[in-house]
Amino acid sequence: MTALIRAELQKLFTTRIWWAMLIVMLLLVGLNLFFIIAFAGDTPQNGAAPGLPGLEDPSWLQMALSVGSSGTIFTMILGIIMMTSEYRYQTITGTFLTTPRRGRVIAAKLGAGVLVGLLFAVVALVVVGVVAVTAVLIAGGEVSFTESRVPQIAIGVVASLALYAMFGIGLGALIRNQIAALIGGIVWAYVIESIFAAIPALQGVGKWLPGGGTQALMSIDIDTGLGESQLLPAWGGALLLVGYAVLFAVVANLTTTKRDIT
Amino acid sequence: MTAIEIRNLAKSFGPVRAVDDVSFTVEAGTVTGYLGPNGAGKTTTLRSLLGLVTPDAGEALVNGQRYASLAHPLNEVGAVLEATSFHPGRTARNHLRIMCTAAGLPATRADEALEQVGLADAAGKRVGGFSLGMRQRLALGGALLGNPKIYILDEPANGLDPAGIQWLRGFLRHLAHDQGAAVLVSSHVLAEVEQTVDNVVIIAKGRLVRQGTLAELTQNGESAVRVRTTADFAPALEEAGARVEKVEPGLLRVYGLEAETIGQLALDHKVLLTEVAHERSDLQKVFLELTGEPVAAEAAQ
Ligand SMILES: Nc1ncnc2c1ncn2[C@@H]1O[C@H](COP(=O)(O)OP(=O)(O)OP(=O)(O)O)[C@@H](O)[C@H]1O
Ligand SMILES: [Mg+2]
Repeated sequence: MTALIRAELQKLFTTRIWWAMLIVMLLLVGLNLFFIIAFAGDTPQNGAAPGLPGLEDPSWLQMALSVGSSGTIFTMILGIIMMTSEYRYQTITGTFLTTPRRGRVIAAKLGAGVLVGLLFAVVALVVVGVVAVTAVLIAGGEVSFTESRVPQIAIGVVASLALYAMFGIGLGALIRNQIAALIGGIVWAYVIESIFAAIPALQGVGKWLPGGGTQALMSIDIDTGLGESQLLPAWGGALLLVGYAVLFAVVANLTTTKRDIT
Repeated sequence: MTAIEIRNLAKSFGPVRAVDDVSFTVEAGTVTGYLGPNGAGKTTTLRSLLGLVTPDAGEALVNGQRYASLAHPLNEVGAVLEATSFHPGRTARNHLRIMCTAAGLPATRADEALEQVGLADAAGKRVGGFSLGMRQRLALGGALLGNPKIYILDEPANGLDPAGIQWLRGFLRHLAHDQGAAVLVSSHVLAEVEQTVDNVVIIAKGRLVRQGTLAELTQNGESAVRVRTTADFAPALEEAGARVEKVEPGLLRVYGLEAETIGQLALDHKVLLTEVAHERSDLQKVFLELTGEPVAAEAAQ
């Protein structure tokens, strides 16, 4: 199995898409970071909702680090591409000739996806960490990596990026058409998830969706004025994401991957 | 053990019976041509053999096993499929290295195989810029990685230039006759494989129409000798045991006698022959007859 996972990583790193994704992820993370540095400590005029904490406030660092989780969309896209480009370029034929036990191919891709997600998360955290800590120090605040849930958030970022890569692979195995899978994944992540997350009446359902799982993983329950959201415990969020990925992969394995390759 | 065995294989795509009760075997050390016109079911048969298509009925086995149950498939079977696809952004070498990694073969096999198929110079180039013939060679390189003893090739000559086809012929013969491999190679052009194959399996509309050695296939059409003479030569020929067909005034088609015997007979009877020629039963004609294609080529002549 490790040989198959290595082969999957080789497939990804011998094409160019991965670093394009990495750069776009870092740009988005950087943009987010820019805004929360620029507006740190700002209180909205009407005073109804609490604004961003100040740079000296320990909770600001939590918030800054959690920006790393915006990379989930990119690891998901990469996961979708890892799976669907096999069908798009018909390399799946060669893949299944080399490894005729198709379930093992999907399993190896899930394994490789986790590793890629970890890599992306580490890069994102290092960039965010360096920038955020610098900002805090310049503002004269103090930094403590052990306090204020910094480790938990870091783990949350790592886990969510890795799990979203798995999620993307499962989704791609199920919807073999690359464009359809990408549209499906992105619409889901940006439209449907945010509807469920934003509308309080739907939050009871939203916590069972992948986005709810990510939030649970981070446990960022900073009050945004909409009231406490009802999230699962962190471990529950992780299980939920693994569950989705495995569910998709298993369903795909029973359906789409069984199909004739002609 | 039989290298390749296909037993009562059947596969339908919706209403289309792509392969219908096909059985044949390929032994080690031989090259078998799998022939048929477009849409005959060649690709479907080969894909069933490689576990890519699940047959509706029957079995397709390599070394007595289903392909999907082989522990090290690349070490047992090398396959080149029609329209083999590669990721355009990946280099030839990387493509083969990935196969090596997944199959547990040393990465050095990639460069060795590229050397063997004449792609050493293009090893570091992205496949997106490859010509059809180069892709075909790369696919063949992939088949060679594990040094298998069975080769399954779907129209491997597609896109190759005349020199490439020449090379491929020699290479397939070398694999079978020198290395003892079993080679199954499909084509819809008989002439393409005529010089390479030992055995022929012909399929048309999903059904097997003929199988045997190349020689047996050509014997199928009776060989005849064209004889042109103004003399009344037929009775003498018939007396010697021949069957004579009068094609047109002055032209006879003689069955059952060698040209030399006919010449001797003419000499004995003091008959002037203006033409004596073997009418070789044309392989392509036999093929077209067997596969039920309209004999357009003949009509055009
Ligand atoms: N995936 C598919 N879906 C529907 N029909 C198919 C499919 N694959 C093959 N067929 C049909 O099955 C029949 C046999 O096709 P196949 O590709 O095996 O022929 P072939 O002998 O390889 O032809 P060619 O010389 O053109 O490559 C054809 O009628 C084809 O239309
Ligand atoms: Mg074909």
